[in-house]
Amino acid sequence: MSVLHHKVSSNVVDSVVLPKLIQLDHNLYGAAFFLMKLLPARFILDRARDAGLLREGSVVIETTSGTFGLALAILCNLQGYRLIIVSDPAIDPPLQRRLEDLGARVEIVREPTLVGGYQRARLNRMEELRAQHPGHFWPAQYSNKHNPGSYAPLGELLTEALGKIDCLVGTVGSGGSMCGTSTFLRLLFPHLHVIGVDTHGSVLFGQPDHKKRLLRGLGNSLMPENLDHKAFDEVHWVSAAEGFAATRYLHGKHALYMGPTSGTAYLVAQWWAKRYPDATVVVTLPDEGYRYQDTVYDNAWLRANDAWLPELPTNPHLVDHPLETGNDWTHMRWNRRPYEQVLGAPFKE
Amino acid sequence: MTRDHVGDVAVSDRDPSASVEFAGQSGTSRDGFGLAYAHHGELFQGVFQGAEGRLRRGLVTLPCGIFRSEATFHTNTTGNLKIEQAGRDKSLKAVELTLAYVNKGHLGGELRLRSNIPAGWGLGSSTCDVVAAIRAVADAFEVNITPLETAALAVRAEVASDSIMFDESVVLFAQREGHIIEDFRMPLPDLEVLGFNTDQSGLGVDTLGFSPARYTCWEIEAFRPLVGLFRRAVQTQSAQLLGQVATASAELNQRFLPKPHFDWLRNVAERAGAVGLQVAHTGTVVGLLFDPKDSFKEAQIQEAQKMLNEMGINQTWFFHTAERFEAFEKEGE
Repeated sequence: MSVLHHKVSSNVVDSVVLPKLIQLDHNLYGAAFFLMKLLPARFILDRARDAGLLREGSVVIETTSGTFGLALAILCNLQGYRLIIVSDPAIDPPLQRRLEDLGARVEIVREPTLVGGYQRARLNRMEELRAQHPGHFWPAQYSNKHNPGSYAPLGELLTEALGKIDCLVGTVGSGGSMCGTSTFLRLLFPHLHVIGVDTHGSVLFGQPDHKKRLLRGLGNSLMPENLDHKAFDEVHWVSAAEGFAATRYLHGKHALYMGPTSGTAYLVAQWWAKRYPDATVVVTLPDEGYRYQDTVYDNAWLRANDAWLPELPTNPHLVDHPLETGNDWTHMRWNRRPYEQVLGAPFKE
Repeated sequence: MTRDHVGDVAVSDRDPSASVEFAGQSGTSRDGFGLAYAHHGELFQGVFQGAEGRLRRGLVTLPCGIFRSEATFHTNTTGNLKIEQAGRDKSLKAVELTLAYVNKGHLGGELRLRSNIPAGWGLGSSTCDVVAAIRAVADAFEVNITPLETAALAVRAEVASDSIMFDESVVLFAQREGHIIEDFRMPLPDLEVLGFNTDQSGLGVDTLGFSPARYTCWEIEAFRPLVGLFRRAVQTQSAQLLGQVATASAELNQRFLPKPHFDWLRNVAERAGAVGLQVAHTGTVVGLLFDPKDSFKEAQIQEAQKMLNEMGINQTWFFHTAERFEAFEKEGE
């Protein structure tokens, strides 16, 4: 019950785990994270510790080339766990150096498997490592229920700061943040409109897999168990060029230097917020822009990758089926249906 | 509530101003009076992280001015404690603890209780008796006991207690420890409540014998956004948001002491335009919450009443949280 507003944090995670809430329009609020994946990583590790699966010196093994690995490396560093990350050549060198600086061992898989590519090769290598380290802990962000279960503190921040929330917009990768946050919020606001933002060539909402997606940090080539399709009222697919343009627009208009998932979610959120001026809209902005200085924030890189778009697109196409999306910004009414009901058949790898 | 109200509404046949001199005792004692208002179950109840990070069971009660307990305590020098009504051991225990607390443990006395609170409905009848008893003893010796001291004594007297002793600002109260987890530093927003008992037999449940809910990891987390919205509701004095918190808590706790026809009740709340549905988490009472500022509320309440009647729920009561003293006086005629 302290009345002090400024306090000392006992470590960096406690000081940055929750987002800053920033008003972007009269009815639109951005939840800008330093690194959103700290929330699930911390919750998963803490619950494992409580269950006796982790103690100081324990080995943690995970396969990732993204921000979940960074969050794990930060937490394992602070909590004294030994982390092994399995990744592939797509990992960007600064991230790899950062992980190693934090004390993680980074294993790069050099050869893709014939079927399943690098993703399968990484999983195979992880299984080998898991067999070599009895008593290790595998966080398994795609299937661990503590991933979606970790987002209640975000819900608390939003309800306390904003009161009633009508719409939540965010990108989908593991399903954790959107399914978790929306389940907690719908306990209070059953009518909460949930918009999942995906990208073309991701299997999450029924597109055929395209492994060389340029827009990273959202979408997936695998179907994560933590993705509950029934959470979504509406789904958008945004192309890489559109997502990058929106990321730059977010920076130019609001001075918010965020990663491409943030820009992509913002594109959808600002469009929806304008159409529904009386609704309170929250968009999650999952990480900062520094990792993308030489890519998304570099016009030469954008042009070289055929992802340069001088202007922000104004409207998405509306479709009735995930296979009708075309190549640019598209949306459909998902209406909280299960995957097989929308696609006519269950997902097959 | 202050002690002044006791004189206005005394139901005892004794003269509240009478004081008694005790030969051989130092100091003067008089008949002490204590009044405690009941609650109407909880706005929410669950598990919450306190300031020091530990998880604690806690609740926020919905005050209800139409149900009350009053206690009269008459001191004597026999050293024995007696209670007029049988089966009120916890109140007697509270008297014993309070006497010791005010350094009068050597004295005896007689406690007399009056209450219109049905037991087992989840209205806090037991805590209400206990708090009235503590206040009566304190009054007898003209000692001022703070709400927090009262809470500590009440928890010792009855294991788990409610937070009815805090009548100034809303608190999230650890009912098994007698601590405040969070003080919201403002009163509740006004609400109008249409209450009824879902157990038409009226037999009630053994609220103290009821074992504490075992929440899942997800449920424990789910209380965080609920508290967040509650803070917002109190800060902005929003009946609307408060109703959403109450409904969510009722739903989260439904699997522990299910209220019959819960989905139907939710539907009634929605159709009638109530801001929420509130339950006694360890009882059988339910309240439909209405926003006093809503200009349609008269019609809404009538509509709700009609739907309840159609389901055979004929005994209902109505109160306004901001008008508990007025409501009490009317009731007390």
